[in-house]
Amino acid sequence: MILHPGILSLLVGTIAVAAMVLYGACFGVRLLRSWDLSSGSEAQILLERRTYLVSTMTAYAFGFELISLFLLIFTAEDLQRLFVGAMCAAGTFNVNQWGYPALLLKILAVVLSGLWLVVNHADSRGFDYPLIRKKYALLAAMAPVIVVEAFCTVAWFSGLEANVITSCCGSLFSAESQGVASTIAALPAAPAGIGFYAMLAATVAAGLYFLKRGGMAGIVFSALSMGLLVVSVVALISLFSLYFYALPTHHCPFCLLQGEYHYVGYLLYIALLAGVITGTGGGFFSAIRLPASLEAWLPGYQKRLTAVALIFYILFGAVVTAGVLNSDLVMEWSISVSSDK
Amino acid sequence: MIELKHVTKVFNRGRPNEYIAVDDVSLHLQGCCATVFKGPSGSGKTTLLSMIGCMTKPTSGRVTVGEREVTSLPERFLTSIRRSAFGFVFQQFNLVRGISALENVMLPAYPSGERHAALRDRALELLAAFDVAHRSDAHVEWLSGGEAQRVAIARALINNPVIIIADEPTAHLDTKLSKDFLSWMERLRSEGRTVLMASHDPLIYESEFVDRIVEMRDGRIVAGG
Repeated sequence: MILHPGILSLLVGTIAVAAMVLYGACFGVRLLRSWDLSSGSEAQILLERRTYLVSTMTAYAFGFELISLFLLIFTAEDLQRLFVGAMCAAGTFNVNQWGYPALLLKILAVVLSGLWLVVNHADSRGFDYPLIRKKYALLAAMAPVIVVEAFCTVAWFSGLEANVITSCCGSLFSAESQGVASTIAALPAAPAGIGFYAMLAATVAAGLYFLKRGGMAGIVFSALSMGLLVVSVVALISLFSLYFYALPTHHCPFCLLQGEYHYVGYLLYIALLAGVITGTGGGFFSAIRLPASLEAWLPGYQKRLTAVALIFYILFGAVVTAGVLNSDLVMEWSISVSSDK
Repeated sequence: MIELKHVTKVFNRGRPNEYIAVDDVSLHLQGCCATVFKGPSGSGKTTLLSMIGCMTKPTSGRVTVGEREVTSLPERFLTSIRRSAFGFVFQQFNLVRGISALENVMLPAYPSGERHAALRDRALELLAAFDVAHRSDAHVEWLSGGEAQRVAIARALINNPVIIIADEPTAHLDTKLSKDFLSWMERLRSEGRTVLMASHDPLIYESEFVDRIVEMRDGRIVAGG
């Protein structure tokens, strides 16, 4: 099983990314300790040269990290036919205890990687390395997440046994089971739907306000973007998935990735993650003092990021709304759904 | 205008063939002057000019050009400074073979995105100023030594740099062409440009228009610093 092309590429890629990030984090710690741009010492000039290499290498590593989330899900989808009981990626991730930690850490790593790329791009626009300390502090903080994620991924893949009977998504995301997924699935429709649209409206309004006025509204937009990620995932599992499947009891967030549902899950997750990365990244710069070398350029960059985030949020909102409107399922939002697939 | 603080350049650091090309050089150069770096081969003249011209970074020390400290700059900013602040005239001229003299002159300005017609006009004006406009369409391999030299100077000036760097510019020229070259450099200095030349040719460092001679040996300044 380990010779599956998806598994091989994920194993090699994940380990390589972890190694590069670890090297970058060690370099970052050294840089944080001794960086002094006013010094012309040999050590300082060596740091200046090497940061160019490390930044480029890390940017490529994180580029792969962004793509690898979808490769991971695609591979899990593809492997589900090998496990008794699995009907989609949900069952594959449940084959052993490392699957879901690997997935959740991968999602966290993707968001953090995206943010790092946003900060790195801004840093590269200044002639005096204006965000270098923040960039490497973030990298050092991310390193444990990436390394543990790599460990979980390796443990998950190496522990895949074809004779294991796993659970199907209908039981994992059932409103009547125990656990976080089931608790989310059991949420009533009205709070999930109204909560999602209220959060989406608030985030879009904050983004538009920030686009028009700038300033500290970026922090609010950034915070709302992170909140929207959580609310959207909850709403997708508890409510919107039902409309896509046209089944009142099927809450699986993975079946949306299948051809049967026009691969709509890929569109939804890409829109959501891209929106969160650009939205949080755009607002992040409002929370720090603008470096003099970026004063002219950074506000425009923030606004571009915000505009991109708004486009993705509106796309996400439009796709789920279209799913609701075009579904054969008719549901009163005040009714709670609570039976298995 | 140009300041060097404790600049050192070591090649192959930590290896058996380690070589210190420039050793702890500190120097202040005024703008709008002509300075000659004089010294035997291997004295560090070319390496020093390369560091001033942002073509290589020192192993330690800082170089300031105008108001900007340039040794710490990331590569993307160095490219822009190299293009806008410096004009280089090389020992072998380094004209690109297979294209015309005019295209050679226009080449360094292409990344600026200037409109092609305006750029072409400016390049032709420069070639005319150096009396080689009639050879603008000729491939560079068909040019005589003197013509190639003047095309190289025109190319160095296409981005209107404030500093001209010439590395051993007369090494392959006879006396007449060397004197011609010096007259062009004198003209550039009188226009308010800073001229920096590395040479061990007496014709250059004994020239009347040279304001300052910095003598180097074994990577260090031994006179005129």
